[in-house]
Amino acid sequence: MKKFLMILAALTIAAPVFAAETAAEGPKEFGVYSDKGARENHFIPSGWIGDYGDVKMVDQSTTNPQSGATCVEFTYNAKKSQGNGWAGVYWQNPANNWGSKPNSGFDLSGMNKLTFWARGAKGGEVIQEFFVGGIGYEPKALYPDSLIKVAVGPVELTDTWQQYSINLSGRDLSYVIGGFGWVTNADVNPQGCTFYIDNVKFEKEEGLAPTAKQAQEMPFYVFADRSFSKNHFIPSGWMGDYGDLRIDTGSKENPYLGDTCLKITYSGQATQGARWAGMCWQHPANNWGNVDAGYDLSRATKLTFWARGEKGGERIEEFKIGGLMGEFSDSDSAVIGPVILNKDWTQYTIDLKGKDMSYIIGGFCWAANVDNNPNGAVFYLDEIKFE
Amino acid sequence: MRLSLNKRFVYRISYIVYRAAGRKLILFAACGIFFAACLFGCSKKQLPKVHIQKLKNSRYQLIVDGRPYIVKGVCYNPVPIGKNHEYDWWNDPAKPWITDGKLMQEMGINTIRIYEPAKNPEAVKKVIRDLYQLYGIRTILGNWLGFWEYPSPLYGDKAFQEKISKEVLETVDLYKDEPGVLLWVLGNENNYSCLGRVNPWSTPEIESEPDPQKKNALRYKIYYSFVNRLAQEIHKLDIDHPVALGNGELTGLEAARDYCPDIDLVACIIYRGKSFGPLFRSLRMTFDRPILLVEIGADCYDAYLKKEDQNMQAFFLESQWRQIYENLADAQKGEGNCIGAVTFEWTDEWWKHNEYSAEGWNVHDTGSNWSSGSYYFDIKAENNMNMNEEWFGIVALSEEKVNGLYKRIPRKAYYVLRDFWKNPAKN
Repeated sequence: MKKFLMILAALTIAAPVFAAETAAEGPKEFGVYSDKGARENHFIPSGWIGDYGDVKMVDQSTTNPQSGATCVEFTYNAKKSQGNGWAGVYWQNPANNWGSKPNSGFDLSGMNKLTFWARGAKGGEVIQEFFVGGIGYEPKALYPDSLIKVAVGPVELTDTWQQYSINLSGRDLSYVIGGFGWVTNADVNPQGCTFYIDNVKFEKEEGLAPTAKQAQEMPFYVFADRSFSKNHFIPSGWMGDYGDLRIDTGSKENPYLGDTCLKITYSGQATQGARWAGMCWQHPANNWGNVDAGYDLSRATKLTFWARGEKGGERIEEFKIGGLMGEFSDSDSAVIGPVILNKDWTQYTIDLKGKDMSYIIGGFCWAANVDNNPNGAVFYLDEIKFE
Repeated sequence: MRLSLNKRFVYRISYIVYRAAGRKLILFAACGIFFAACLFGCSKKQLPKVHIQKLKNSRYQLIVDGRPYIVKGVCYNPVPIGKNHEYDWWNDPAKPWITDGKLMQEMGINTIRIYEPAKNPEAVKKVIRDLYQLYGIRTILGNWLGFWEYPSPLYGDKAFQEKISKEVLETVDLYKDEPGVLLWVLGNENNYSCLGRVNPWSTPEIESEPDPQKKNALRYKIYYSFVNRLAQEIHKLDIDHPVALGNGELTGLEAARDYCPDIDLVACIIYRGKSFGPLFRSLRMTFDRPILLVEIGADCYDAYLKKEDQNMQAFFLESQWRQIYENLADAQKGEGNCIGAVTFEWTDEWWKHNEYSAEGWNVHDTGSNWSSGSYYFDIKAENNMNMNEEWFGIVALSEEKVNGLYKRIPRKAYYVLRDFWKNPAKN
């Protein structure tokens, strides 16, 4: 009996130690998608965003899966069914959870990266972003992702499978409801595109350090051409009398370089009563400083761009980079203006020497007003780049 | 060896005495006379009471009565409930500055900022003296430089310049001998008028310039040159107090570098929420002068949730003061060009939302006057209007009166800053 009690006591002491070790080791993977109907699929591709009518999904495509029997095939036709010019899909848990459902999602605190495989049907398809997390921040939901959106992109796909990775080290993965997602747009895929996704999973990699933002190589484009895959900012921040503004991101009216330029029409009608209007190129779209994103442009010493007015004499009060203020503000700002545009293409430079360009979410901006453009203004921009 | 006139005189006297008397005794006496003369006759010129010291590592310190001084200030305009900015609080029989000074002293505040003193010098001197003698609180005195003059501040007009100069120099002459005065601030956000954003002004020369950027450059030249002449005149009149250039943000300071070299420091108005970003480094690269942040702050009304939020205000203010300390001369990191700051403001001002409606002066309005994404907690308010001008006080006003004064109720920011200043290294 005594012997039995001793064994029991030993087991009582040893058991929690054993259990703790097991828990500490934990699983090294957590699936998002592996094969149609697989047990490892923990998220559902239910969150269709933007021009959802432009997207077709085959979630059991047998066209050359990366592994297993199936992969997911997406076809984006760029027809702007809902008028947005962009579209994407979120993998959610549970399906259609935009942050309104309590006690859902997963605690993936042990994981530190997400990996996935992707390929294009032809090669050259551009996916603006692949991302994880970020559900329930915009608009604010009651039960949002603990993980602020982390993204990679733009990514130009090849026609063979490539593995991609998103570093999540140091991030809060205690409540993940948006397991994976992608977004792309009609500008970079004017004819649409077909691409494939397979083997999406969270992983734990020993010793993986959090990524600091890497200083980008120069030149770094805000805009070069409509279909250029390396346009890094989106003209999503419309300000003041936004109803007075129109933008054609693929104007073929005498571009300075390449086959397209930006054509901006400012009616000067003061639709919202502000008597001024402006447009900001942001990363990601609609980021007013509420999303931790942007680029490290420390290597830039200037921003250059080409501009011309339709008639000449259009007055732009400011051309600016940076200066967006929020929880995650631009690290600095620089401005020129007022500028009176010429009828011919003219290059302008914003000097960035001595500026802190380590965190830029507002890549470019302009603002004009009715007082100096009583009949509105039409002007063109091209080759906006950091150098 | 070349000797100064004084030294040569003393040397000559010593030599005569030396020749006339016994050698050893007289040698001692001569040396004594020589050193005494050196000490009293040739001693260094006395330093100003308040001055900027540039350290060997190019960092800046404000020195007051021979000791480093960190400005821990508040903007002070104790307008009671039901009154507006025209109220003469300087002659308020309840003497609000006595009650406020005590609370300020307990918090650790050592400076108040007055945008422009009242017309009655005796009343102004009384306030400055009371605060200094009772609580050791010094006063920054400013002047608007005619920024609000109708129809606009005509900085290109000689008569206007002379009028403002006279006003400023009279002020300096009146108060320069008050021991409680710390420094002078010329203007506030007047630089924005050079961009035509507020109170625009012009001259025939500016009007004849077609290039709008050159127009702005001309305005900067005129305005900052005017401030520079004022600074020169003040220095002639008063050697004991530095002269600061009031400026909205760092806008235009690249022009001030060229046209306003005689100011001693810049006094900037900065509302950037949680972080000043590269402010201190940018200033160093643009116009290498010490900086006093003469307006920082945050309101405590959440315009989105429509309720008071003292945590929000305390969060922003603590973050701002932390960065101020990181950029002081003796900080381990930072630029070392900051000499302190002035928080806007001491008490709420209930008249500000609608300054022309006397009824509104009795109401603590929750309407917002402007928008700033830097104060992001409530930026989702309608039309992004999230800044509540009547809610910037670190001390709230109760409608209950005590000894003729609306009762002061310190907000959370009061205690957070008090604790931070007690031990900034720990925080």
